[in-house]
Amino acid sequence: MNAISHTAAVALPIPYASDERGLLAPAVQPRKTGTRRRLALGRAIPFGALIGPALLLVIWSIGSIAGLIDPRTLPAPWSVVGTAIDLIAAGKLQDHLMTSAWRAAQGLVFGVLIGTTLALISGLSRLGEAIIDGPVQIKRAIPTLALIPLLMLWFGIGEGMKVTAIALAVLIPIYIQTHSSLRSIDSRYVELAQTLRMGYGEFIREVILPGALPGFFLGLRFAVTYAWLSLVVVEQVNATSGIGYMIDLARNYGQTDIVIVGLAVYALLGLASDGIVRFFQERSLSWRRTLAD
Amino acid sequence: MLAVDRFSRRRFGTLVTALAVTLVAFSSPFSARAGSPDAGILPTKIPEGTLLRIGDPETQRALELSGLIDRLPFKVEWANISGGPQTIEAFRADALDVGSVADIPPIHATWTGLKVKIIAAKFRKDPVAHPIYQLGIAPGVEVKTLADLRGKRIAFSPGQAQGALVLRVLQAAGLKKEDVNLIELPSKGDAYPVALASKQVDVAPIWGVLVKHYLHQYGADGATTIPHGLRDDPAHLYAPQAVLDDPAKAAALGEYVRYWALAARWVEEHPKEWIEGYYVATQGLNSEDGQYLVDADGRFDIPSDWNDVIARQQATIDLLARELNKPPIKAEDLFDRRFEAIAANALNAS
Repeated sequence: MNAISHTAAVALPIPYASDERGLLAPAVQPRKTGTRRRLALGRAIPFGALIGPALLLVIWSIGSIAGLIDPRTLPAPWSVVGTAIDLIAAGKLQDHLMTSAWRAAQGLVFGVLIGTTLALISGLSRLGEAIIDGPVQIKRAIPTLALIPLLMLWFGIGEGMKVTAIALAVLIPIYIQTHSSLRSIDSRYVELAQTLRMGYGEFIREVILPGALPGFFLGLRFAVTYAWLSLVVVEQVNATSGIGYMIDLARNYGQTDIVIVGLAVYALLGLASDGIVRFFQERSLSWRRTLAD
Repeated sequence: MLAVDRFSRRRFGTLVTALAVTLVAFSSPFSARAGSPDAGILPTKIPEGTLLRIGDPETQRALELSGLIDRLPFKVEWANISGGPQTIEAFRADALDVGSVADIPPIHATWTGLKVKIIAAKFRKDPVAHPIYQLGIAPGVEVKTLADLRGKRIAFSPGQAQGALVLRVLQAAGLKKEDVNLIELPSKGDAYPVALASKQVDVAPIWGVLVKHYLHQYGADGATTIPHGLRDDPAHLYAPQAVLDDPAKAAALGEYVRYWALAARWVEEHPKEWIEGYYVATQGLNSEDGQYLVDADGRFDIPSDWNDVIARQQATIDLLARELNKPPIKAEDLFDRRFEAIAANALNAS
């Protein structure tokens, strides 16, 4: 992965990236030092990612206090917290969470492995693309919910079916993003690799994989969320635990507060797992210089 | 009710004739080839390693709480699946051997080309005083009697017990389908109370603790419920024909029906343990809601003779066939009478 970063910075300077780093400074000549950063995003806000969700929470609370939100359709945040505490005290929420997390993790691992493999095969060969790309696009258009009856016919009603359904949902964004990112690797890197007389293995290792990495990570951000989202569908079939099952069971008895606890757990899991992926994304792609930096 | 009684007598006559014909057919020299497997005696030998995949979560829990589960003379794979749409889906996927439903799913399964048979039938004593369903009325809608249903928007789910109930209520009220506005909506989770509360429908049959919650939450806005005055109590076990044709599984099913009856009695005799062990521990309800549900159930009744059951089922089939444009089927074809007396005998013997 160092090959690209190294060459990009030294041999093939990219104008928009270089501007900020001052590589082209002699040619461009900024008028004032103070205006140099005006086109970029500026300094990162501490804990900025939490401001939006916190704002939502504030609106929800105010709406509940002011009586603008009917507690029968959306219980107040504190009563949801109360229900969550009750569920945790009874040991139920943790149990459901563990089951769901294990299912999501299995689905995620299989989905990511399969999605990446398919993306590489389809991205690197015309024949692979001809065979693989169509079916993946077809799967992309089919909702998981509608696939469940078929998956039941093929894999039964046990864990195998559930993990398969999650993996199928997960592999789509991984495939699409990795494939697209791989195919949009700039041809000059390919030419460079050719000039350097790289072997095919080295070419894949030094050019293709690092080049596809940004797409892979974007896909992974979608994938972790999809893994959680699929649970609510698969856990409606022959499940006795899991967050999705908890929500479905609460619906049978009209317990809106438990449904919202489940939704809040999804929201937290979604935010947290996205944060984890972004953390690894930043570390793995530290060689990149982009608008985000 | 009178119409139903007259109906059942006529049907009973048909049934006796049908039985006589079967007997004659059976005593003829060619009967061995002609008789279907379930026309004979139920196998009782359960070979070692016989496995039943059972979708009957309530009975499962009752067997666990009572300790009867350790006595089942076959292996079980429990599935948390019950109700029409889910059991039919699982039967088709060959993932389930027996399911727990009301009266409509076996009819609906047959209409969709899946051969199934009912192997156990449980009812409520005094079903009109202990109905499963109430007619939920949306806030601000005036419905005091069944006659007031004329012109109302009624939630309707053709493949589920709720759908048949709506049709039977209309029949009892002397109304035709055209006299009301049937809104097709599957009853899943709290879909019906939610549809009522948001005034998407005027009337919907709601059941169990949802009735209590609905009145508690929306009573102040004018939400009401009225009794429908009909019996809505059948609870059946049913199995695909293919499973019943397997002697090992059929024998195991016979034993399961026995324990199913014993579990029902255990629940009735141990309301406290049932409320705490089922409604509170696994369903996430409080004891108060559990008590409400136990009271609503009343006492159960397992008949040893299915003639009335089959006659009532035939009346339901005829009504559904007429209203939903489906081919008529014979109710007796839906019952595997080899199992008829097992449950009642089990209760008498112990």
